[in-house]
Amino acid sequence: MINLNYIYSEIFLAIAIMTLLIIGVFKKNSSNLVYNLSIISLLISLALILSFPINESINLFNDSYRIDYLSTFMKIITISSCTFVMLSSNKYIQIISINKIEYPILVLSSMLGMIVMISSNDLILFYIGLELQSLALYVLASFNRDHLPSSESGLKYFVLSALSSGLLLYGCSLIYGFSGSTNFFIIRDSLTQDSYGLTFGIVFILVGLAFKISAVPFHMWAPDVYEGSPTSVTTFFAILPKIAALTVFIRFLYVPFLNLIEQWQIIIIFLSIASMLFGAIAAIGQKKLKRLIAYSSIGHMGYALAGLATGTNAGIQSSISYITIYLFMNLGFFSCMFMLRREDKYFEDIDDLSGLSKNHPLLAFSFLIILFSLAGIPPLAGFFAKFYIFSAVIEQSMYFLAVVGLLSTVIAAFYYLRLIKIIYFDSSKEKYEINHNLGLKLSLLVSSLFILLYFIYPSWLSQIVENINII
Amino acid sequence: MIVHSIFFYIFSIIAIFSAIMVTVSRNTVHSVFFLILDFISISCLFIMIGAEFIGMIMLIVYVGAVAVLFLFVVMMLNVSQQKNEWLSGEKNSNHIPIGLLISALIFFELIIVAGGWKYKPELLGSFNSMGIDLTTTNTHQIGNVLYTDYIHLFQLSGMILLVAMVGAIVLTFRKREGIKRQGYFRQISRERKDGVELIDVKSKKGVKIDV
Repeated sequence: MINLNYIYSEIFLAIAIMTLLIIGVFKKNSSNLVYNLSIISLLISLALILSFPINESINLFNDSYRIDYLSTFMKIITISSCTFVMLSSNKYIQIISINKIEYPILVLSSMLGMIVMISSNDLILFYIGLELQSLALYVLASFNRDHLPSSESGLKYFVLSALSSGLLLYGCSLIYGFSGSTNFFIIRDSLTQDSYGLTFGIVFILVGLAFKISAVPFHMWAPDVYEGSPTSVTTFFAILPKIAALTVFIRFLYVPFLNLIEQWQIIIIFLSIASMLFGAIAAIGQKKLKRLIAYSSIGHMGYALAGLATGTNAGIQSSISYITIYLFMNLGFFSCMFMLRREDKYFEDIDDLSGLSKNHPLLAFSFLIILFSLAGIPPLAGFFAKFYIFSAVIEQSMYFLAVVGLLSTVIAAFYYLRLIKIIYFDSSKEKYEINHNLGLKLSLLVSSLFILLYFIYPSWLSQIVENINII
Repeated sequence: MIVHSIFFYIFSIIAIFSAIMVTVSRNTVHSVFFLILDFISISCLFIMIGAEFIGMIMLIVYVGAVAVLFLFVVMMLNVSQQKNEWLSGEKNSNHIPIGLLISALIFFELIIVAGGWKYKPELLGSFNSMGIDLTTTNTHQIGNVLYTDYIHLFQLSGMILLVAMVGAIVLTFRKREGIKRQGYFRQISRERKDGVELIDVKSKKGVKIDV
């Protein structure tokens, strides 16, 4: 008998999706109701996760579904950041009139897929979770279907993502063929050193996963999709799938294939270096905020991968700390973007930021700390994130990776500082609207305070993350 | 046993005959019907060798969905009138060598697949060592693992299909304005006084009716 207590939150989310769908279909004009109810159901599923002891490791469904410290922590940060994304984008989807009942339902389904991915300990389950997650995201990207760039971005994401899913499945079938099982534990036990098939399988799966977190050279879709889709969906794209895919990266590389580290380490190092450099250099010439943040997120994924390349517990922990801080910074950045509204129109160019500090000193200050933190300037949270990564990398004497990382931090600092210069020293424009809804204010406040006050007691995050021991 | 082989030959002959008719039939709709007949007789063959699950899936998927889709396309595009002339026509006769070549290749591939059992006789023996229970039907066996060991995957696949359906609807459904729809409730609840008005017509005056 399977102990279903541990997957109450997944079951609850699935039931909530179907119930909300029924409510939305049978009750006229219920899009706001469904939206609010879906936020509530996210909170309930978060509470269901928190209500179980966090320290146990449980395997369910013939060891294919694993509940452990890593999955619980990642689920908590995904669900809570999803709640904040929904809270902050409520007004946005009303103004650009995409507030249909399907929007929150698709967000919840994507959330369910991510939770499954995070807990998966099996190739089939991981693939099903990935498909559930990305199928909902294709639709969300083209949700504003009367707006041409949105449909284009949805189509582009769909085609490229289908290709990467194909590669990923090919890798899965190779691994299944050469190890005889799809379960991570059984693959680990049946591992033989000199099997080229497994190496090819790992490479194909890494390609598919690198596509999902938009690491160079599989990043081509990211800027276009980020720019074209509605900003609320871009927020979602920039934060949530990356957390889920990074968890799968960790579990996939460290549970079955830790003994083949010589085979995959060089690939991860390459992905990491290429992403860091490309993210830093390509963002310089951008004129749109969403494209800029797309390149910035490519760079940040490079740092997160650098932690993974070490092959140690400290490296995993630094990656997880990095992605936690990264999600707060991105949440803050997009909350600031949602505030650039004037007469029911949103402004998304870098020029629209000019002279923001004269009219909106508080918003400009939030932008300032978020951008400084993204650039990695002490004493803000972004500095600590990079510090953890570099200390883990240097501990393994991977100096080249650390040097490239530091160099690209310096390059990337240029465009973050340029934004700050535009905000503080350029001539000011018209005022933006100042009355925003509570959820948006709350998410900006939470993320700004987190970034600003992180240095007071930085060890709380590392104390939480320290318990994650995969190896 | 003799009945078994009689049925086998009947179904095989129907399958081959209808496969040929699919290609040579002049009417496209007839081709699709022969395609359906082909699928049905092949699924009967599957059921006869004990692979009843594949046979039924073939009926449901190919006949129920794919062939009906073909029929829709053929009927909607109105290509049924188009004469199928490539066998007898003058200018398109260079299709035939390529078609024959590809058919021959497929035929040899099938021979190689079937020959695999002959050249690797231990393959057939290895099926027995896999612990397959030959006394239960394979639908039963698939059901045994699908609803127990893989129940979570089964349910999640259902969620994926739900998301696909919701996505298809949200991206294509448009509420068009100005379409005349039938409102049953309004029709039924309409009373005589709403539609009929009695007018006293004066002689030689006529009556003016508001429309």
